[in-house]
Amino acid sequence: MSQQILRLARPTKIELIRLRRRLATARRLHRVLRDRLLILTQELVALYREVVESRLRIHEEIIRCEKELVRTSSYVAPWIFEEFSNVRIKSFSVVLGSRIVAGVRLPLLEHEVVEGHYDPSAYPITLKEVSECYEGVLRNIIRLAETEISLLEVGREVQKVKRKVNALENLIIPRLRATIKYLRMKFEEREREDKVRRKRIKQILTRKARI
Amino acid sequence: MGEDKTLEYLLERELRVVNSYIASKRKSLAELLREEHPHVLTLSGDVHMFRKSELILAKEVIGEDAEKLMLPIYVELIPAQTTTTGVIREEIATKLVSTILGINHATPLYVYPIQLAELRRKIGTLIQYVVSPETLKEIGDFEEI
Repeated sequence: MSQQILRLARPTKIELIRLRRRLATARRLHRVLRDRLLILTQELVALYREVVESRLRIHEEIIRCEKELVRTSSYVAPWIFEEFSNVRIKSFSVVLGSRIVAGVRLPLLEHEVVEGHYDPSAYPITLKEVSECYEGVLRNIIRLAETEISLLEVGREVQKVKRKVNALENLIIPRLRATIKYLRMKFEEREREDKVRRKRIKQILTRKARI
Repeated sequence: MGEDKTLEYLLERELRVVNSYIASKRKSLAELLREEHPHVLTLSGDVHMFRKSELILAKEVIGEDAEKLMLPIYVELIPAQTTTTGVIREEIATKLVSTILGINHATPLYVYPIQLAELRRKIGTLIQYVVSPETLKEIGDFEEI
């Protein structure tokens, strides 16, 4: 922590008041930044966990879906697969929006699925299960994309805010405190010198008066 | 004097950043559920979207009070001794949050960091953190050194 003293024009009481006000402002700024850093760090940790879990989950789901697909394709003709995939989902859209967390703009991806109209009895039930399996994978991939970008953005912001917090904690506030302490010592010293001077003058005047 | 102004400017800027995503006009839960892409506009001109799944969860918890719940819910950050605590002051919002967290209902409701993390997981887009300038007034101009 910095114990350096700031350069002052004159060590006066007005300077002391100014420094105290500056210290109060620095402390307020530190508090605001620290709160923001706490929220951002929580968000960062949560996003990181989510990314790791999502990736594992997607890998497991893909393996499961592939197994289901292979099993189903052993007794379902390819043209039935194609026909089903054309009728099962009418539309699949992804809406890209944004959300704001502690002053950081993060992406938000919402997907919308509109199911098509078809006769379920016309197709094997396992086809629908395979389709739903892959839909789940796609849903998770979309969510993973959102989470990974958010992780990068939040990470960047955490770095920026942490730098400011560290500068305040280790540089600005300690320097201000050291300077205020130095000024108070200077004033006390001056007061002591004045006291001693007044005493001496009193002694001299008393001696002169006796004479 | 220059450093004074710099610090004041930085403080003002940080307060503006940290509170700039406050919605210019909040919407009720019922209104948001009716929208195709539920969102609010922030003071800085950005768009803050809500997840539909989270809105539906809130509706399930709140039920008939959907018209009264204004979103986003503001969690005011107040620095405690060692950790930063959040406080929610609105009646319906505290009802929703206390039900989600499984704690006793109270207004105002104090929420601790671990509970904030859980809220973020369940209704992350429905809450916003605000730093109240009132709490900064606690830091007086004169510190004993």
